[in-house]
Amino acid sequence: MTRNVAIVGGGQTNWGDRKATWKDLAQEGGKATFDAIPDVGPEDIEGLFVGAVQPERFANQTHVAPMVAELLGIDVDEMIARTELACASGQAALRYAWLAIAAGQLDVALVLGVEKMNLGREHMPEVQSSMANVLDREFDGVNGLAAPPFFAWYAQRHMHEYGTTREQLSLVAAKNKTNASKTEFAQFQSEIDPDEITDSPEIAPPLHLYDCSGITDGAAGVILMSEEKAREVTDTAAWITGSGQSSMAGNSINNLPSFDGWPQARKASQSAYDQAGIDDPLAEIDVAEIHDCFSISEIIEYEELGFAEEGKGGQFIEDGRSYIDGDVAVNPRGGLLGCGHPLGATGVSQALEITQQFQGTVTDDRQVDNPTTGLLHNLSGSGSVHSVMVLDRNQR
Amino acid sequence: MTDTTDSNSGKRERISVPEEIELPRLLDFYDLQTEDQTQIHEFYDNLQEGQLTTTQCCDCEEIHFPPRIVCPECTGDNLEYVELPHEGELFAFSEVRGGLPLGLSEHDVPYVVAAVDLGPIKLSARIDDASYGDLEIGDPVELKIVEIDGPADHKRFFYRFVPQR
Ligand SMILES: CC(C)(COP(=O)(O)OP(=O)(O)OC[C@H]1O[C@@H](n2cnc3c(N)ncnc32)[C@H](O)[C@@H]1OP(=O)(O)O)[C@@H](O)C(=O)NCCC(=O)NCCS
Ligand SMILES: [Zn+2]
Repeated sequence: MTRNVAIVGGGQTNWGDRKATWKDLAQEGGKATFDAIPDVGPEDIEGLFVGAVQPERFANQTHVAPMVAELLGIDVDEMIARTELACASGQAALRYAWLAIAAGQLDVALVLGVEKMNLGREHMPEVQSSMANVLDREFDGVNGLAAPPFFAWYAQRHMHEYGTTREQLSLVAAKNKTNASKTEFAQFQSEIDPDEITDSPEIAPPLHLYDCSGITDGAAGVILMSEEKAREVTDTAAWITGSGQSSMAGNSINNLPSFDGWPQARKASQSAYDQAGIDDPLAEIDVAEIHDCFSISEIIEYEELGFAEEGKGGQFIEDGRSYIDGDVAVNPRGGLLGCGHPLGATGVSQALEITQQFQGTVTDDRQVDNPTTGLLHNLSGSGSVHSVMVLDRNQR
Repeated sequence: MTDTTDSNSGKRERISVPEEIELPRLLDFYDLQTEDQTQIHEFYDNLQEGQLTTTQCCDCEEIHFPPRIVCPECTGDNLEYVELPHEGELFAFSEVRGGLPLGLSEHDVPYVVAAVDLGPIKLSARIDDASYGDLEIGDPVELKIVEIDGPADHKRFFYRFVPQR
C-alpha cells in the first residue's frame, strides 16, 4: 500500500434499548465523533462510509449514506457508500476508507456505523426474523435458524470434538460482561460472575441468555486520515498496518465446514499479520477486540487468530490469559456480550476502543498497560467471512 | 405575525393506515415454488411427489445443495435432479426457546433445528416430534414432507425430519 493511514479518534452514542430513531442515532454518533476531534469538522470530510446492516428492515429506510451526509452537513466530493456485510459491516466500511486513503483518492474520511434494532418488545419476532436471513433464507432461515441456535451448534460441536466445557463458555461471558461494567456506553453494565451465566434462561441450549450479545440500538464513528493530515490533529493515533479478509464459497449449511472452527478467520488474520509483520500474535498483540457475538465465538477465535492451539480455546480462558491483565487483553470494552451489538456499529466501536487504548483515554479500570499493537476481528453471517485488522500505535 | 391556525379551523381530518396486515409476502420465509417463479421448481415438484432431490452437475459430477441452475464448481449449466437419501444423522442441533422469529412465535415452540448429515450433503432442518434433551449427536432421523398454509396462491411444500423409531 502506498500511503500510511491512521484512525485519529471518534465517538459513540449510548448503546442499548434507546428512545431514538435511526436518524437520531446517526446524528448523535456523528456529533460525538466531531466533538471528540475539535480540529475536524463536516467540511473536512472527503469520504463518507456508513456501516448499516438492516435499515430497510429496522427503520424502513434505504440510501442511508446520503441520509447521514444530509444529517451531518457533509458535502462529499470523493467517495460515499454504505457497506453491508452483516455483522462485519462496520469493519468493511473501515476497510474501504483505509483503501481509499492509502490509494491517494482522499485524505480524510468519516466512518459511521449505525443500527436501530429495538422496535418494542411486541415486535421482537419481526426483528429476529429479519436477522435469520443472513444464511440462505430459502433453505436455512426458513427453518427458524436464527443466530442463537446456529452458534449453539458450534458450542455443541466444539464441546464434542475438543471437550470444551460449559464452565469455559461461562468464563468468557462473565469476563466480557464484567469488563463492560466499566464501559460508559455499554448496554449491559453489571458485573456478572460465571455461575450467573447458567442461571440465566436457556435461549438455545447449550447457550443461555448471558452467552448472547444483545439486540442493541447505537452508533459509533471514527475519523481516518492520511499521515500528513493525521499529524496535524494528534500525536497518538492507531495506524492501520494490516487488513485481511477471507470468504469461503459457502454461505449455507451444506457448504460450511464442520461447525467447530473458522478457517477463514485463520486465513484473514494470517494475511493481516503478514502485512503488519507479526510473527507471533500472542506475544506481539496487546489488545484485541474480537467478535464475541456468542461466548463460544470468542473461544474458537482464540484458536483461529493464533492465540491458542486448535481445540485449546477453552483452556486459554480457563488459564486466565485473555483478561485485561493477561497475555492479551481480549475485549476490554466488554465485547458484543457486554456492550451489545448494534450490527453496523460494532466494528467501528471496536476500532475506536483500540485507538483510545493507545491514547490512554478509556476509564482506568479497563486501560490495558501501555498497549502498542491491537487487533480487530469480525465474523459475519454464517461465519463464512472473516475480517481482521491490525492497528499499531507506531506507523510502520 | 403569520396566521397560525390550520386550514381545518379546528376540526382535524382523519387519515388511516391499517392496524394489522396479514403476514406480508416479503416476510414469508417460504419461497414461491412454481415454474413461473423459480427455476428450481423441479426441486419443489419432486418434494410434492414425495422425493427429496437436488442438482448434480452432468459435466463435473458435483452434487449441490441447495439446488442450483449454475454449477459453482465448473460454471456449467447442464444439471440434473438426483435423489437424496431420506434418512440421515444429526450432526448438530439446538432447541430454540427464546428469540423466536415471526410466524413461529405462537405455535411450534420450542422447536428443534439441526444440521442433518445425509451423506452426500448436509442441510439444516426442523426436527419434529423431538425435544433437545432426548437427542444426541449421531441419532438417526428420517424425512417428513409438510404442506404449507400461508400467503401464496399455490400449494407449497417443505421438508422436515423426525427421529427414527
Ligand atoms: C438472546 C436474545 C434472544 C434475548 O432476547 P429476548 O428473549 O427477547 O430477551 P429480552 O429482551 O426479553 O430480555 C430479558 C431480560 O434480559 C436482558 N437481556 C436481554 N439480552 C441480554 C443479553 N444478551 N445479555 C444480558 N442481558 C440481556 C434484558 O435487558 C431483559 O432484562 P429486564 O427483564 O431486566 O428488562 C436476544 O438478545 C438475541 O437474539 N441476541 C442475539 C443477537 C444476534 O443474534 N445478533 C447477531 C449475532 S451474529
Ligand atoms: Zn460442474
